[in-house]
Amino acid sequence: MLAVRSSHKPSATKRIILAIAVGALLFVASNLIDEYRIFQGAQVAAYLVGIISIVLLTGYSGQITLGQGAFMAVGAYSASLVVQEFGLPIWASFFVAVIAAALFGAIIGISAGRLSGPYLAGATLAFAVGIPALANAIPILGGEQGLSFDIGYAPGKYADTVSPYKWLFWICALCAIIAIVIAVNLTSSGIGRQWRAVRAHETAAALSGINPARSKVLAFTVSSGFAGLAGVSFSATVGLVAPSSFTLALSFLLLTGSILGGISHISGALGGALIIVIIPTIFESWTEEASLGVATYLPGIIVSALLLLSIALAPEGPSELLHKIRHRHRH
Amino acid sequence: MIRALNNRIRVGAAVAAIAGLALSGVPAKAADAPGVTKDTITLGMTSAQSGAASPGYNKVGPAMRAYFDYINEKGGVYGRKIVLKLEDDKYVPTNAVNKVNKLILRDKVFALVGNLGTATHTAALKKTPIIKQQVPDLFVNTGYSGFASPKKYPTTFMYLPSYIMEAKVMSKYIKDKFPGKKIGILYQDDDFGKDGLAGFKAAGLTFVAGGTQKYASLSQATVGLTAQMTELKSSGAEVIIIFGVTSATAVALRTAAALGYGTTWGPQFIMGSVGADPTTLLTLAGATTAEARAATLRSLTGALSLSFLPAATDTEDEYVKKFIEINTAYNKGVVWDNNVLVGMNQAMLVVQALRAAGQNPTRASLIAALKSKGGTFASAGYSKLDSANNVGYTGYWVGRYNSTGVIAPVDGGKPVVYTADSSTSNGDVAVSTFTRPAMPADGVPTNS
Amino acid sequence: MNLINTLIAGVSIGAIYSLIAFALILVWRSTRVVNFAQAGQAAFSTYVGLSVEKAVGNYWLALIAAIIAGVLVGAFVEVVIVRFIVKRATSAATATVAPVIAMLGLLGIFQGLMGLIWGGDYQPYPTAFSRDGISIAGNQIPFSRFDLFVLLTVVVAMSFAAVIFQRTSLGLSMRAAAFAPEVTRLAGIRVSRIRTLGWAFAGGAGGLAGVLVAPTTFIAPNSFDLLLVFGFTAAVIGGLDSLIGGVLGGLALGIGLSVVTGYLGGSYTFMTAFVLLIIILLVRPQGILGARGARRA
Repeated sequence: MLAVRSSHKPSATKRIILAIAVGALLFVASNLIDEYRIFQGAQVAAYLVGIISIVLLTGYSGQITLGQGAFMAVGAYSASLVVQEFGLPIWASFFVAVIAAALFGAIIGISAGRLSGPYLAGATLAFAVGIPALANAIPILGGEQGLSFDIGYAPGKYADTVSPYKWLFWICALCAIIAIVIAVNLTSSGIGRQWRAVRAHETAAALSGINPARSKVLAFTVSSGFAGLAGVSFSATVGLVAPSSFTLALSFLLLTGSILGGISHISGALGGALIIVIIPTIFESWTEEASLGVATYLPGIIVSALLLLSIALAPEGPSELLHKIRHRHRH
Repeated sequence: MIRALNNRIRVGAAVAAIAGLALSGVPAKAADAPGVTKDTITLGMTSAQSGAASPGYNKVGPAMRAYFDYINEKGGVYGRKIVLKLEDDKYVPTNAVNKVNKLILRDKVFALVGNLGTATHTAALKKTPIIKQQVPDLFVNTGYSGFASPKKYPTTFMYLPSYIMEAKVMSKYIKDKFPGKKIGILYQDDDFGKDGLAGFKAAGLTFVAGGTQKYASLSQATVGLTAQMTELKSSGAEVIIIFGVTSATAVALRTAAALGYGTTWGPQFIMGSVGADPTTLLTLAGATTAEARAATLRSLTGALSLSFLPAATDTEDEYVKKFIEINTAYNKGVVWDNNVLVGMNQAMLVVQALRAAGQNPTRASLIAALKSKGGTFASAGYSKLDSANNVGYTGYWVGRYNSTGVIAPVDGGKPVVYTADSSTSNGDVAVSTFTRPAMPADGVPTNS
Repeated sequence: MNLINTLIAGVSIGAIYSLIAFALILVWRSTRVVNFAQAGQAAFSTYVGLSVEKAVGNYWLALIAAIIAGVLVGAFVEVVIVRFIVKRATSAATATVAPVIAMLGLLGIFQGLMGLIWGGDYQPYPTAFSRDGISIAGNQIPFSRFDLFVLLTVVVAMSFAAVIFQRTSLGLSMRAAAFAPEVTRLAGIRVSRIRTLGWAFAGGAGGLAGVLVAPTTFIAPNSFDLLLVFGFTAAVIGGLDSLIGGVLGGLALGIGLSVVTGYLGGSYTFMTAFVLLIIILLVRPQGILGARGARRA
């Protein structure tokens, strides 16, 4: 046990070094590419964090969620409120988003964590619809038009030289990198193993000393924290927090991304986030003046068809498919 | 360890993929005026082409395109053809930010024209480079007075008269014609509705207890208005203002009919201009059955509404007449209505602004030209276009629907146009003395 | 709003929730899958009805067309997609989540197809009866002839289903296949065919529900998503295994939500449904009328 742990420690440091290297690469890249791509990059980063939150909950802990958008909304609204009502600086609001969403996730986890399969799916589905609608009932949440959430410009003398898009991208990318590092370390730790044990066989896990209920609630809490971060990143890209940003469609889209990227590994999240941003983009450029309808609906059909196919052929994601093929070769 | 290594390889591959994607989008060399080539001028527009708020409004963009096609056929603007890129934001602010970003950053449009929606465009102004890149943002299709702000939004110009102006004109009319009556209102709970409320307040119009009802804007789904209309009914309001988008107005009228309007309940309805296109209202109410159409028509008959353009049914009007011709030839299969009129008229203003910007237009010359000459442009509008102050039209006339859904001036004859400003410190309304310029020959502007 | 009016206003929408709950339960009983694509199937069938209505201008033909379309789409989905996916997906470690996600994928495909075929704008759907409130002794109540028609149609459809289930051998096979598929198979009944029939019936119920609800909501590719959420809530309230429970659950939900909307406002409707769902799942996972022990899949 000790040996295993010590063999993990250096790899955690290496991960951080790797993360810094990736960050540096992205920083360089952001100076080379056009602003629209940078904006899309920021979106990818925000989706990426959202997908990680699903991978943790569904992929590792085995609990399905159709309502991740609701946790994102909780994070985003908390962030916007503390900036607007208490004058907290923007950077601090990101932490508030994570904590608020995690707390909320804990409460939901305690009640919904006992459910599974279609019941959990249905409960989170109702949750996804119910939470954003609350914004219209509570005046301080700004109704359908929502609240402002402006990350503004780069500080000090950089405000004029750094475009707002780069600034946005750097912030979102930083959040995503931090999220990836934490998630990878978490899942390769004892907690991650516990989650997988509970997912694989609840009774067996319980017999080996794991408390399945606690493990599930913890997964809900952690996952919601990530979702809160995703929510605040996502809101930064549009400059506002509104119910229409956290629709069922968003929750479904993130779930789709997590499956397409591979739901059983954190690494799949990046692929998933890229797919859900790139596919519609490709179609937009293909069908320029042809017809609005094709550009609007065909990407959805393709993504959904991919989703069906991957569930049928490789329910754990493309990496599983690769693994299967490799496995076959060895034997 | 092996798994960690695998993970790292995967992450690395994905980063490479991102970089590849990014590099594929390296921009072409920026021209002096983005979106202007030897033969084309590319314009961009976002609007609700689908979604709950789209009915009616989704005809505005195609109508503009039809008029541009007509002008292109007649030689374009100084030889350049106008290309309109129309994007669907579904009336959702998040989408509007995405789409406007795409139009400016990727499609490199010369200017934005006729972007529709208050909340959507507020978000776009905040999170897209409209201001930073000085992108002309012409004739936004909303009456939110906040957009007419040369300091805050130097390149944004309004098209509709402001909701504050509309509320002031409405207030004056109500005070003159329905003195002492109890007033109620149904408004959209966002800046659109609140702008109107500010106008009613400035004009000193007060609402009966329980008579101030709101509905959440329709960016997500359609809503039932039964609770609101029932409240309005039980508040005893005798005059009810409906200040909402067309689809909400349709539901409100339909609900009123279900609550006994026309038999046991007879308030006077007054509708805001943006929600009052009769063709769309009747279609939405279910024009497919005679019964449903009749019920909506019952609510519509005798209702009042404000307009800044001629009635779409006023085929004597020279502008309306020509636009109908263009609609028939270039907008095939589209039923002529007020939304088409709004779009065509807007497109005609755009063409004049482009001409005024000169033979080799730049974004700056377009804005300067609109500021100095916008007030002289020929258009169907019955009031002055105050582009010098980034304001749109400045006046309204009051009309009444007859039993076939056709609107005509309340007092018969020519419409009396009332004008007001967007100040919230007074409710002043005056009768406009504006004389409308004549239609350019063949509907093709020749200004410079 | 007085209480009686509020209660009455919830009856017809409750009846529609009942239909959706009925469809979800039928599928759940036969395949152990919650058909989240039901929203898409119902909207698709309703669009077919609308097209027929536009072509021939007959409400009743359109209604029948929508039901038939629902039946065909339901059967098609089961034979072509569900059979294939459920068999493969349930062997993986993600077995509990895979069918749900597959159904969402199917929903996405349906919505995209509808957008391509019929466009994304909200279209009105006609009614055969007046939607004006009926006047009783000079008082207009929030219950129209159309609402009455909805209620009666649902009652007739449910009675029809009840007769099939209780009085025919087909119904007996369906019930048997739902609760003991192996034994049923041993008895010489082709369970897979029974399963397809279950999906077909459910599809028809969805199409009917779509046509009945469309006049009040307009129709767009995703306009029935919320209906699905409420239908599912109703199904759970009644116990996912009990058809009668689902029907009663739908009515209860419709009336309950109407009261909440009437007294607190529309913004609380969704939250109420969510809270109700959670409470019921925690307190009585087998539902109000659910049979035997809790089934948590």
